[in-house]
Amino acid sequence: MTAPAVLAEPQAGPDGTAAWMRATPTGRPFDAETVEFAGALSRRLGRAGGRVPELQALAYWTRPGEIRRLAADFAALENDGCLLVPRGTVFHVPPSNVDTIFVYSWLMSALVGNRNVVRLSDRAGGHTELIVGLLRELLDEGFDGVRDALRIVRYGHDDTWTAALSAACDLRVIWGGDSTVDTIRRSPLPPHATELTFPDRFSLAVMRAPAYLAAPDRDALVSRFRADAYMFDQRACSSPRLVVWVGSRAEAALASEDFFGRLATLVGAGGYPVDGSLAVSKLGYVYGAVLDQPVSACRWYDNALAVLTVERFGQPRREHCGGGVFHELRLDALNDLVPHIERRDQTIVHHGFTGAELTGLVRALNGRGVDRIVPLGQALTFQRVWDGHDLLQAFTRRVTVSTAEVLPG
Amino acid sequence: MNLLDLPQYGLPQAEKELLLRAELDRLTEHHRAHCPEYRRLLTIFGSARGTGIAGVPWLPVSVFKTHRLLSVPESEVFKTMTSSGTTGQRVSRIVLDRATAQRQAQALVAIMATVLGPDRLPMLIVDSPAVVGDRRQMSARGAGVLGMAALGRHHTYALDTDMRVDVTAIRRFLERFGDRPFLMFGFTYMVWRHLVTELGAQADLSRGVLVHSGGWKALQAQAVDNPTFKRVLRERFGLTRVHNFYGMVEQVGSVFLEGDDGYLHAPNFADVLVRDPVTWEPAPNGTVGVLEVVSALPTSYPGHAILTEDLGVVHDAGDPATGWGGTRLSVVGRLPRVELRGCGDTHAVNTGAAA
Repeated sequence: MTAPAVLAEPQAGPDGTAAWMRATPTGRPFDAETVEFAGALSRRLGRAGGRVPELQALAYWTRPGEIRRLAADFAALENDGCLLVPRGTVFHVPPSNVDTIFVYSWLMSALVGNRNVVRLSDRAGGHTELIVGLLRELLDEGFDGVRDALRIVRYGHDDTWTAALSAACDLRVIWGGDSTVDTIRRSPLPPHATELTFPDRFSLAVMRAPAYLAAPDRDALVSRFRADAYMFDQRACSSPRLVVWVGSRAEAALASEDFFGRLATLVGAGGYPVDGSLAVSKLGYVYGAVLDQPVSACRWYDNALAVLTVERFGQPRREHCGGGVFHELRLDALNDLVPHIERRDQTIVHHGFTGAELTGLVRALNGRGVDRIVPLGQALTFQRVWDGHDLLQAFTRRVTVSTAEVLPG
Repeated sequence: MNLLDLPQYGLPQAEKELLLRAELDRLTEHHRAHCPEYRRLLTIFGSARGTGIAGVPWLPVSVFKTHRLLSVPESEVFKTMTSSGTTGQRVSRIVLDRATAQRQAQALVAIMATVLGPDRLPMLIVDSPAVVGDRRQMSARGAGVLGMAALGRHHTYALDTDMRVDVTAIRRFLERFGDRPFLMFGFTYMVWRHLVTELGAQADLSRGVLVHSGGWKALQAQAVDNPTFKRVLRERFGLTRVHNFYGMVEQVGSVFLEGDDGYLHAPNFADVLVRDPVTWEPAPNGTVGVLEVVSALPTSYPGHAILTEDLGVVHDAGDPATGWGGTRLSVVGRLPRVELRGCGDTHAVNTGAAA
């Protein structure tokens, strides 16, 4: 057994790491050192992250103001009769192709006092190296408490590791696709342990066509949508793949032409790279979709943007090629969406609706699906509540304390 | 179809393009009339796309991986071919009726006669007999072997069922046929791995004609290119007549055979063009792009114009006077796989196809 540890005791194999999990004490929620560490990480990411949007987003999320807000949110969740305590050891399995997720997952858990083991895939991308390098630098300079409560291990498909870490953890967090969740779930958890899964999701944009057409700065709206869709090659869970126009036929046609025309220009001007392989894959997707979906028109602007107009909702959730292929649908009213929404649906980015209309939609859905509704431009903004889970709560246990010796009533 | 009957590589390019375009237009109408999926694709993506071979509407090869397209009644399906693909990759399913299969076989004969002559030669197959197992569900390799086997007689497999060189079988074959012209066929990497590295220099193959295919990817890792391949075969076995070809299960029969000039040549009834992977317009000769292959053969499935996932370069057409007319092609390789980002399981995007 080789030791794939990236940040761990030398030669600590799966059993050694599991023994550490049981032996290391947990920390106090939002203790000063961890909070200070987050701030230091934010500064270093801000410098080293250059112009990479996802690294800057992470730097933003870890800056002191955000962490203070998180601490205040956490404090508001507890009172003298109900306290939040760390769960113990959290085993994080982040996706191999969104490099920043492991930091969100680990840091949120570390801030509330847990020990953490992070499994990095042996296929993890380039920014992962940069982030791990920064962590190593910082932890070499101090932050002993943070260092002692973290193990980062890197391995491929190795059931020995997954089994040992799963058997010793109190909470397992799986980010990744459905098949990753299925694979990791083959390793049993202790009876008391819980699990958070973030499987494949589908996301969409919903815009009121006349509101879009009347907007004073449509390029700004389109620019926000571009960030939502293209930052992770349209393959993040929350990247919109379907655009729903609410309005009349004429309004929707006008809005669509204007919107996607501007988007094509903007994406082209930004030099979004589409290599031949992705382009061929998109062609294949588009041709396949025409055969499988109620597509009435296909607008192939260029390799970076294709729009498939569908006449009915169809099934746009199939495996997607990414890189700028949108399904487009028109509805008369926002609530016409309701029967089409499924459990898999995660984020709606919206424009042109009131808060009351959106809460009305959530009430009408009543749990069918959709976990987030955010304005255009915020699809990828990581939030403490994600996929229906409040992570501050999920990473802690609630302990109740009562002094009433006689039960009322 | 007279393109099949005329001597291959013998037509002036301009004349060939006119004849071929007419055939391809007939096929477009045939498939439009008989394949509902093809008709729908033409409706959405349009069918009028200009003059020349490039004006024929094409399908991306991956459509044959996601959909089973046929232009004949199910009752006329004679066999289904599948492309090679590594685990987890989707494979193409190509549906053949008897007429298409027969045309493919005739086409292969017409092409190979250029280097083999009119007679069926004794044949040494650089593969294992196990590769031609199930004849209804043929793998690309098995189909390749079977297709070529029709061109030879006295078939002898150079490998045993455990994929080891069968020295005895090869020696017997050469004792019997080695002093006259004989045919050898195998996939390029099989020839290299088994004949060159395992057989060693104990065979005289100087009267052989080797026809091989399957791509250079496996050999690129060992820095073996076509000139090296040919030099080693010449030096070790005295084998001088070596012809590579490029073809795919989606267009069996219309292969591009290496001429005496070292380029791959389009036969009369097929052609190839290169598309710019940004604009998808035809790219000028000499530039690398995505290959589109057209063929007058398929009537049972709408595969007469296919955008491949291979990269290549087209050169000026060969001179029919030399015996090697037709568009000249160099294949560069597969489009590189890309891994996209995103939260889900990583799927390496596409590739596969061309066998």
